[in-house]
Amino acid sequence: MTAATAPVTAPRSWRVPSAAGPARLLRVELRRSPMLWLLPLLAAAFYVSTYRPAMDNPPFWNIRSGMVQSHTMLVFAPLLAGAGAWVGSRDGRRGLVDLVGVTAVPRWAGQLATWAAATIWAEALYLAGVGVLYGVTADQGAWGGPLWWPVAVGVGCVAASCAVGFAAGERLPGRFTAGLAALVVFLALAGGAFAIQDQVTYAQIWPLNVQGPWPADSYGIFYPYLPDLAIAQVMFLAGLGAAALGALGWPAGAGSRWLRGAAAAVTVAGLAAAGTGTALAGTARVEANGMVIPALHDAASDRPTPYTPVCAQGAVPVCLQPAYRADLADVTTALGPLLSQLAGLPGAPVRVTQVAVTTVQSEIENGIGFGGPAISGHPPVLYLPLSGMTLPGEGNTPATSFISSLRQQYGPQIVNELVGLPGGTATVGVNPGVGPDRAAQFAVAQALEQVLNLNGPSLIRSVPPGARGNGPASGGDTNGVSPSSAQLQSAIQRFAALPAGTRHAWLATHLAALRAGRVTLSEIP
Amino acid sequence: MNVEITGLTRRFGRTQAVAGVDLQAGPGVFGLLGPNGAGKTSLLRMLATVIPPSSGTLRLLGRDPGGYGPRREVRRRLGYLPQNLGYYPSFTVAEFVEYFALLKEMPSFRVPAAVGTAIERVELGDKARSKLRTLSGGMLRRVGIAQAIVNEPDLLLLDEPTAGLDPEQRVSFRAMLRDLGQHATVIVSTHLVEDVGAACTQVALMDAGKIVFHGTPAELTDRAQGTDAAGDAPLERGYSAVLAAARSVAGARS
Repeated sequence: MTAATAPVTAPRSWRVPSAAGPARLLRVELRRSPMLWLLPLLAAAFYVSTYRPAMDNPPFWNIRSGMVQSHTMLVFAPLLAGAGAWVGSRDGRRGLVDLVGVTAVPRWAGQLATWAAATIWAEALYLAGVGVLYGVTADQGAWGGPLWWPVAVGVGCVAASCAVGFAAGERLPGRFTAGLAALVVFLALAGGAFAIQDQVTYAQIWPLNVQGPWPADSYGIFYPYLPDLAIAQVMFLAGLGAAALGALGWPAGAGSRWLRGAAAAVTVAGLAAAGTGTALAGTARVEANGMVIPALHDAASDRPTPYTPVCAQGAVPVCLQPAYRADLADVTTALGPLLSQLAGLPGAPVRVTQVAVTTVQSEIENGIGFGGPAISGHPPVLYLPLSGMTLPGEGNTPATSFISSLRQQYGPQIVNELVGLPGGTATVGVNPGVGPDRAAQFAVAQALEQVLNLNGPSLIRSVPPGARGNGPASGGDTNGVSPSSAQLQSAIQRFAALPAGTRHAWLATHLAALRAGRVTLSEIP
Repeated sequence: MNVEITGLTRRFGRTQAVAGVDLQAGPGVFGLLGPNGAGKTSLLRMLATVIPPSSGTLRLLGRDPGGYGPRREVRRRLGYLPQNLGYYPSFTVAEFVEYFALLKEMPSFRVPAAVGTAIERVELGDKARSKLRTLSGGMLRRVGIAQAIVNEPDLLLLDEPTAGLDPEQRVSFRAMLRDLGQHATVIVSTHLVEDVGAACTQVALMDAGKIVFHGTPAELTDRAQGTDAAGDAPLERGYSAVLAAARSVAGARS
């Protein structure tokens, strides 16, 4: 140590802090934030949790945008809460509380700089990951544009996780605080999932909740992405983070009375925002285009997004929303044979048009199920929802699997619709409305499905209880006596064995009567 | 006077750490001596505004640090080296010192030069870019001194600053103290009477929370005359003599 190298020139005036000081402080914190060490782990977590699953899905903006909210935050939130706790407990663990506590910069301001540095790195990595994913998605020619509200929720979740962890670490400095904070946040996320399953309305605020029970590809294509829930979630997360950070400014040593008052105000405002967000989420309801929160809803968002469909010409043209352009050939391959068989029949669809998914009441999927294809209009149009189906490329699903799935899932429903079996969207065999008077319709439908290979060979297993009698093989007909299984099987085999032309001709003349329930089993050629 | 203390006390539960201290100190190096538990660190922590006094009046650099505004002004002109200095292992020497310069609200444009000067003064220039985790205990102590002096404080409080320093470094350190004391009030709490003898213009000896001696090192040495106080050096014998006298008075009172 030298006495003479630099003479002491002690300042003799009270200095006023310069505005550049906080920026330099933040720069030092940025250079040495422990979050830097965590970035490789976060990058790997993003790749495993989000990027790879996203690439296993078709390039739909809404699917991939949803993933950067739900998939990423499931992993990021606990990790960042733990990292935040580690950063927040730094001074306590290192025995620097006294030393940093007697500096001129208010303690709260110093803590915010430390938190900000950690959060900036985490946000930078998150946004970089989103950027790469969105860039690749754009490069893959996805229709439409990227959705930013899920990213906003993700950004809010990153900041809130860091803030909550930081506050926990600052209050309870210790080597186990980081792990405990990560565990608590993970359990909170798991608890949110259970609460949503239990249909707790306020649980809709769960940060991993993208659009409630909607399948990931049902929103943001036919309608604009509804930001209602995302706005409530951002309010909740921002409020949570603000409350946590504000609480750090309460202690006597945190700063001036004014600063402590501001910290208290931030805390109260944060709690109010979090509470308001949760309350708003509690009013959310499922609509055709996503989750609607009346207080936040913009009616303009309900207007369908205009688009020019992409069509494949054939006996019956098939038109899809352009986001599904890549699937047009597969849809045509799946439904083409069926549509060719039905073309020209009275009531048969003259065109296939893709529509957004529709909801139906159901015992599954939290009380909401999704409708299947429906034929309606004059001339009849087959309205085909593809949302909820596993598309080619989704989870490595091959095109053949999609084609087979579409044919076997929707083919029978289309046939049932055409022959007039009730509940065209329901599975034949479990529909309680089918009775003896429907036996002919059922037989024709089954024969067509057999011919078109829509259902596989074990047809008789799906004969509805009401359509199958217990009597002798010579049993009844539309006179009120249920036909036997043998009679049904015979009619099915008979009709299926007809040449295609004959079958089509018979259907052309008898379809209206068949649909009206005026054709008996014995009248089926 | 940079330090004006009247009837200062500090209590931790039932323990009276500081029991009515009166002290005034202007520019110069002030040695604070005393045995373990005498109250030196508690007094220094009150002077550093780490803890408030339980009673009494305290004025630092002409301000009452009881109010937040004056306390913040005092802290801008304060240097403090605690007895147990923590550190951020991933920071470099320069970053650590810069960090505290910024926390002391030094004008931003002055920080780089001040950091360099402080590091040079503790002879760690060649280690400026080294991570703190790679430094020895003595080097870390010097880093602590560097952060304390980086803002060229008017009031410098050093708690056991020479602990861990080798003899050569201690000699340099004492020279630096003398230099700093030309303009600032430097209060050094130490067990090592040779530090006091070499660097301090004033010395106070604390025992049981009270100041039992206040004077120059020469006056402290003189207190040993006519006694059979133990010690290898004259100042040590003075130290022992004052302590023995104070304890005999306290024993007689009790």
